Amino acid sequence: MSMLDIWLGILQGFRVTALVTLYGLIFAIPFGLVFGVAQYLTTGPARLVVTAIIEFWRSSAVIILLFVFYYALPVVGLMFSAMTVSAMVLGLNIGGYASQAVRAGLQSLDRGQKEAGQALGLSRPTILLLIELPQALVTMSPTFINQIIQLVKATSLVSLVTLTDMTFRAKEISQIEYDPVPIYLSLLLAYFVVCYPIALLGRLVESRVGPAREISGGL
Amino acid sequence: MGFDIDFALSTLPTILSAIGMTLLVAAVSCVGAAAIGFGFEITRRSGGVMGYAVRFLIDFIRATPVLVWLYCLYFILPFYGIRLSALAVGIIGLSLYFSGYLSEVFKAGIDAIPRGQAEAARALGLGRLDMTVFVIAPQMLRNIAAPMGNYFVSILKATPYLAVLAVPEMLGRAFDIASETYRYAEPLTVAGLIFLGLALIISQAIKRLEGRLLRPMRR
Repeated sequence: MSMLDIWLGILQGFRVTALVTLYGLIFAIPFGLVFGVAQYLTTGPARLVVTAIIEFWRSSAVIILLFVFYYALPVVGLMFSAMTVSAMVLGLNIGGYASQAVRAGLQSLDRGQKEAGQALGLSRPTILLLIELPQALVTMSPTFINQIIQLVKATSLVSLVTLTDMTFRAKEISQIEYDPVPIYLSLLLAYFVVCYPIALLGRLVESRVGPAREISGGL
Repeated sequence: MGFDIDFALSTLPTILSAIGMTLLVAAVSCVGAAAIGFGFEITRRSGGVMGYAVRFLIDFIRATPVLVWLYCLYFILPFYGIRLSALAVGIIGLSLYFSGYLSEVFKAGIDAIPRGQAEAARALGLGRLDMTVFVIAPQMLRNIAAPMGNYFVSILKATPYLAVLAVPEMLGRAFDIASETYRYAEPLTVAGLIFLGLALIISQAIKRLEGRLLRPMRR
């Protein structure tokens, strides 16, 4: 099997990798925004509930979350496609990390920003939407870009729940042709080709907005 | 058939019996990742061609999924006549994957020490070794303790990836039960909850430790 065949084979899985990433973002972005802001604004028992939901998605091992939801949702009568479950689990996991970046960004703002808004007679939601959030999101943008990379990498897990992404295709090819060395090295390279430009973009943005405090790390 | 709580509870002892394996893998991988990461950081600091090579290697590792690294090592090493147990491959994979992240921790830990510390040590007539051991190292350890702890949690959450290589850690045990009983939801949920509990307990412990370590530096 030639190198080109291997590359074309892995490329056939790119569509699923890209789709899971995109659908995952559809879950991650609203979750990160809503729960980050909620954790920033709430106090007392409400904050406890918000924190518990964030920690469930953020502190669980994502590979187990994926299996649990893939196998347990049908048991309680909820039938979703593997694609939907994967996008939801991977998206909400990354969304949990993103929410911490949103909250940290909001907390890092100078108090004077909020006070100036109040002095101008703006309502609390207006201050949040027009003054606090835009600044917080810009400050934390390098972190968000890092988290997109984490999401792309995490999509390799969907090969374990029968979706034919790049990893699944590579495994398939290597089972047909017993030649794992070029196949798996190509797979590594394929992820690098997808993720490295995003990392470079992140560095460019970071050099513009200044270093953000790294919060997530991990997977 | 629904979610059977009694059955879930009955799987608890079997899954918990693998907690030692999970913690062992996490601890050994963390030490391995720290050792490789420290080597990376020292090489990177020394500059030159090797410095650039290491920098690229770290970028490469960070742009590729841990699952693919595990497959690579697992399938490629035997091809070159290197036969290792799945456990050894898993530990090497996790160590290598997280070394890129830990090298950043060492970098930040060393950079955060004020230059004056080294200068003062020299002014007091300390030799290079004494300076490293008694002045730089203790301060670096204080700086890196908390981030290292956070990465230990990340590594812990990555140990279930080893189930893919059939290492008998907690997720692997859960799958054993699932394939014997044809019930997936309960054992997987139990495994997920144990991991979540472990991650939360260790994170809290690290937060306390961080507070204690940083107290002498606050005024």
